Amino acid sequence: MIYKLLATVKKEALLLLRDRVGLSILFIMPMVLIFVMTLVQDSAFKTVNEKGIPVIFINNDHDSLGNQIEQGLRSNELVSVSDSIDGKPATAEMAQKAVSEGKFLLGIVIPKSATDAIRKNVGVLVNETLNNDATTIRKAAAKQDSVEITILIDPVAKKSFLLSVTSNLREFISEVKTKIMFQAFADQVSEIIPDKNNTPKDSYKKSQIITYKEVYASETEDKIVPNAVQHNVPAWTIFAMFFIAIPLSGSIIKEKNEGSVFRLHTMPTPYLLLVNGKIIVYVLVCQIQFLLMLSVGQLFLPMLGLPALVLGNSMLGISVLTLATAFAATGYGVMVGTLASTEHQAAIMGSLSIILLSALGGIWVPSYVMPEVMRNITAWSPLNWSLEGFYKLFLRGGHITDIIPEALKLTGFFIITMAVTSIANRKKRNV
Amino acid sequence: MSNTPIIETENLTKTFKHATEPAVNGISLSINRNEIFGLLGPNGAGKTTTISILCGLFPASSGKIMIDGKDFRSEPGYIKQIIGIVPQDIALYPTLNARENLEFYGSMYGLHGKELKDKIEDWLKKLGLTDAAKRKICTYSGGMKRRVNLIAGILHSPKLLFLDEPTVGVDVHSRNVIIEHLKTIHAEGTTIIYTSHHMEEAENFCTRVSIIDYGKILTEGTPAELISKHNAGNLETVFLNLTKRKLRD
Repeated sequence: MIYKLLATVKKEALLLLRDRVGLSILFIMPMVLIFVMTLVQDSAFKTVNEKGIPVIFINNDHDSLGNQIEQGLRSNELVSVSDSIDGKPATAEMAQKAVSEGKFLLGIVIPKSATDAIRKNVGVLVNETLNNDATTIRKAAAKQDSVEITILIDPVAKKSFLLSVTSNLREFISEVKTKIMFQAFADQVSEIIPDKNNTPKDSYKKSQIITYKEVYASETEDKIVPNAVQHNVPAWTIFAMFFIAIPLSGSIIKEKNEGSVFRLHTMPTPYLLLVNGKIIVYVLVCQIQFLLMLSVGQLFLPMLGLPALVLGNSMLGISVLTLATAFAATGYGVMVGTLASTEHQAAIMGSLSIILLSALGGIWVPSYVMPEVMRNITAWSPLNWSLEGFYKLFLRGGHITDIIPEALKLTGFFIITMAVTSIANRKKRNV
Repeated sequence: MSNTPIIETENLTKTFKHATEPAVNGISLSINRNEIFGLLGPNGAGKTTTISILCGLFPASSGKIMIDGKDFRSEPGYIKQIIGIVPQDIALYPTLNARENLEFYGSMYGLHGKELKDKIEDWLKKLGLTDAAKRKICTYSGGMKRRVNLIAGILHSPKLLFLDEPTVGVDVHSRNVIIEHLKTIHAEGTTIIYTSHHMEEAENFCTRVSIIDYGKILTEGTPAELISKHNAGNLETVFLNLTKRKLRD
C-alpha cells in the first residue's frame, strides 16, 4: 500500500509542478496580495502619520486662545496646519470653500476677541462670586457671552475617523480655554487678595490630576506592535492556503474528464488512498506557502520600509495551527472538486466560496467592525478560526494551549469535508 | 476452477437513475477462459454499460455476476486485481510523459521497483514508444496515445482484459500493431472482452461474438456461425440486418 501511496504522491507532485497557472495561483498571487495590501494600508496610515491631517486654521482672535490653539496644533505631528490658501491669508469663508472642495480635511475658525470674551466672563463671575449669593452667581453665569469656535468638516471624510479627530480637537480647545479662564481667574483673585505666596497663579501648570498610559494587552511585553504587517501577513496567507481549493478541485475534475477516474475506480486501489495522495501533496504546498509568506513578512517587507513580521512566542503553536489550516483548506478543495461536475463549476464554486468565507472570516475587514449579526456568522468561517488563532500567536503572544480550540475546529472541518466527499462519491457512483 | 467460465452473468439489468428504459436489459453471458469475446452493437446498445458493470465501476440494478468464480460484491479486491481495462477514452494524464503515466498505473496494480520498470520498458519497446517515452502525452498523435492507453491496461498481465473500442480513431499502422499485440497477449492466456464498431476487425479478431442492441443480446456465436446462420456474406451484414440499419444517436 505504501508504494501505491508514494506513486500517487509522485503523480500529484508532477501534475502540480507542470501546472504553471495553478502554481502561480498558489504562490505568486498570495505574495502579491501581501505586498499590495500591506503597502496600501501602511502607506494610508503613513500619509496621515507623516504628513499629518491637513487643517486650515483661521485665527481671528490673535490673542491667547487663538495663539495657544495654533501653537498646540503646529506642535502636533498628527496635523499639518495652514493659515493661508493659495498664498493669501485665509478667511472663514475661504476656509469653508477650501474644506468643501476637499483641500483640507478640517477647518478651525477662532472668532474675533474670543480671549477678551473669556477674560470678561471670568472677571464678571469672580466679582459676582465674591460679592453676591448663589442665585446672583447663577444669573451672572447665564448672562455670559459664549465663545463659539467653528470646526469645518470635509463631508467626504469618514465619520469614524472625523469623530475621533474632532473629539481630540474639542478636548484640546477646551483645555486651552480652561487654562485661559483659570489664568484670568487667578489674575482677578490676585488683584483682590494680594498675598503672592497663596495665589494659585501658576499652580494649574504643575498638577495633572489624571494621567493615561496606553499598553497593548499582549503577553510579550509590548514586543509585538499591531500594524499592517502583523494583520496582513497571516490574513492573506490563510486566504492563499484556502485558495488551494481552485487548483485542487480543478485537478479532481480533470481526472474525471480525462477518464483517469474511470480507470482508477476499476483498479485494486481504494479511492481514498488516491485522495490521500492529493491531500499529502497539497498540505505540503500549504506549508511551503506559509513559509514563503513568513519570509515575505520577515525579510522582504522590511526592505520596502515596512515593519518586520514578529512571530510571537510559540513556534509549536504556529506549526500546529498551520497544519490544521492546511488540512482544512485541502479538505475543502477535495470536497469542491467532488461536488462540482465541470472545471468551470469548480473554479466558480471554489473562488466565490473562498472570497465569501474570507470576507466573513475577517480577512478583508476585521470582524470587530462588523454588525453583531455578521459577527455571529463570522464565527462559522474556518478562515476566521485560523485568523483568530494566528492573531492569538502573532499579536497577543499566545502559546500552543491558546490555539487548541481553533486547531480542533479546523481539524473538525477537515473531517466533515472528507465525510461529505465520501458520501458524494458514493452517490455519484451509484448511478 | 479452470473449467468454469471466467465471466458468468445472469439477467444483468441496469436502469440509470431518471432513465425510462434500461441500458442493459437481462443480459446473460457465459465467457470461457482464453476466448476473445466481441461485444458488438450500435451506439447506445449497452456495450460500455455492460463492460462498466463487469469492471465494477458501478453496480447492476439486478442480476448476478461471477468473475473467475468469485462474486464482485464479496471479493472486489481479487477481481480488480485480475482484470485490466483499456477504456474508450484516453485515460492518461496529458501533462505526464508515457513512462510517468505507466509508472503510476502500474503501481496502482501493485507493481513496483525493477519489475515495474522492466515491464514498462518491455512494452514501450514492443509498441514502438521507447524514443517518445519522455515526451508528454499531450504531444502524442492519436495512435500513440491509444498504444500507451493499451499498455496501461495490460502492464500487470491481467487474466481478463476489457477493451472498449481500443482502435477507434487510429491509423492502419497503429491498429495493426495493437491487434497483433492483443493476439500475443491472448496467446499467453489472457481472456479478452472486446467492443468495436469495426466489424471486419471483429470478424478476424474474435473467437466468439455477441451482437447486442437496446440492452439485449440479439445473437451470439462464432463469426463463422453467425454468418452462416444469418445467410450473410460477412459479419457487417449480419450486424446491419439485426440492428435494422437505423441511424443511432
